[in-house]
Amino acid sequence: MSGTQAKSTPLARQERTFLRFTLGQRWEHALLFLSILVLLLTGLPQKYREFSISQDLLATPDQVYLIQNIHHAAAILLSLVVLYHLGRILVLMSRRSLPGDLLPTMQDLRDAGHMIQYLLFLRKDKPKFGRYNFEQKVTYWVVFFSVAIMGISGLIIWFPIQATSFLPGGVVPAAKLAHSTESVVLAIFILIWHIYHVHIERLNLSMFTGRLSEDEMRTYHEKEYERLVGQSGEKK
Amino acid sequence: MTPRTFHRQVFWLIAAGVTAVVISLLFVVSPASAKPTGQETVKYCLTCHGDPTLSTTLPSGETLSLYVAEDDLRHSVHSAVGIECEACHNDISEYPHPAIKFQTKRELSLSYYQTCEKCHSSNYQKTQDSMHAQAAAAGNQNAPVCTDCHGAHDIRPPDEPRSLISETCGQCHSQIVETYKQSVHGAALMNDENPDVPVCTTCHGVHNIQDPRTSQFRVAEPELCAGCHANKELMDKYGLSSDVYDIYKRSWHGVDVSVYKARWPTIWHDSAVCSDCHGIHDIRSTGDPSSMVNPKNLLNTCRQCHPSAGPNWTDAWTGHNPISLERTPFLFYVDKFYGSFTPFVLWVCVIYVVLQIIRNTVDRVRRNRP
Repeated sequence: MSGTQAKSTPLARQERTFLRFTLGQRWEHALLFLSILVLLLTGLPQKYREFSISQDLLATPDQVYLIQNIHHAAAILLSLVVLYHLGRILVLMSRRSLPGDLLPTMQDLRDAGHMIQYLLFLRKDKPKFGRYNFEQKVTYWVVFFSVAIMGISGLIIWFPIQATSFLPGGVVPAAKLAHSTESVVLAIFILIWHIYHVHIERLNLSMFTGRLSEDEMRTYHEKEYERLVGQSGEKK
Repeated sequence: MTPRTFHRQVFWLIAAGVTAVVISLLFVVSPASAKPTGQETVKYCLTCHGDPTLSTTLPSGETLSLYVAEDDLRHSVHSAVGIECEACHNDISEYPHPAIKFQTKRELSLSYYQTCEKCHSSNYQKTQDSMHAQAAAAGNQNAPVCTDCHGAHDIRPPDEPRSLISETCGQCHSQIVETYKQSVHGAALMNDENPDVPVCTTCHGVHNIQDPRTSQFRVAEPELCAGCHANKELMDKYGLSSDVYDIYKRSWHGVDVSVYKARWPTIWHDSAVCSDCHGIHDIRSTGDPSSMVNPKNLLNTCRQCHPSAGPNWTDAWTGHNPISLERTPFLFYVDKFYGSFTPFVLWVCVIYVVLQIIRNTVDRVRRNRP
């Protein structure tokens, strides 16, 4: 993890930015975004066939097979992203350099309680967050488990015969129901929770640019900012 | 009485008489415009055709019996309403009869049945759209016409008793009817004259019988079976579930089939319909050890389409049963979980975001206030 990077030129004092996501992490997110978008766009019309837009998309049997193939291709892409992500975690763990910033802590519960008090006008101040606030941790873990459920259930209904060679048969209809329902849960969550936090509350493009400005860091991740600036400040 | 009054009286008497005759004539004439009822032509024709030995030889060499049993005629549905020989034999109006112009007995039948249309035009037209008419058009002389199923001189109600319908079809489709008689439906019909089980015509139609091997027939089949099997009152009578169709419709097979039925009925689709698993004419009760869906045979039935399925596979099929802890525990818990998890996620997201929007808006307004 590279901490801060001060950009300054002799001519003008440019604003300091902080590296938030490495290029690898941004690629992971971009591919995750792409594959989930394609999966939802090709999956939901199969679930909700009665809508006219679904009927247009699934206009002929050939098109149904095409849509299913695209869905499977996107599923493979997502699986690769997941494998890379898990592999990276293992590598970092073996090097004892996994930051662990995303792991939920008691502080997150306290922050959430604090935030709710603030939202209900019971407190005037917002909680001060570290590198990742509890909203961002919730986003990560909901998507993490959602993708796990979608992936496992999707594999079972994609290869039901192979799955039942070692799993009880009852998992197939259960996987079908889970796959179908979890997709809606994930769609709701991304559309409401995630889109609000990164686009509506404030436009946070750090997942694409990789960086946050000093101002943003100070406002939204005060503890992390203090930790970083405190360190580098001492060095200066 | 003066001669003048006398003349006047005579005039009125005559006038009244004429009026009475005209009026009574009206009454007599109007029913007389229909054919006179009674069995006179029958009696007349039977003076010759009542002889059991009366016969002729056709050019084909076949012996055509010209005997008509009076008993057949008397029990025919037509006799009761006064329909007589010449109604159908309308080419014969005199004696001696014109020479028989048919080469074979079949040719004679194929000609005479067309007179049925005179009175039964709607059913006659339906048969013209049937599978049987298609077979006839393709040159099959034995494709049935009205008289093959209904009889000629001895036409009786076709469904008295009900099993007669299946016997009638069995005249040609003997093997299928034998199979049917062994089925749960056929046995109930043959042994108990059950009024509810389907006979041939229940599923295949009566006069406009269609080819049951088409994709259209296939995708419409679940609804056909549902005609009885989704009828709660009827199914309760036999202790059967009436949910089978609804649950099938939501199954993998059922969704596929309903999509194809609605959108591409002419495109063949292999997703299972009722008869693929339960059999066609040999449908048996699930408890019957020879039933295709008896637990003993179920895996083999699945393997018709899923050849590499293993022994766990049959549990992947919920068997038309609603979700329950006993039968489908995995499905039960997943259903329970999402029953509360989905609304939980939705409400947490909505409430949290709405609270944020309110709080942030209030903050912004306060900050901008001088």
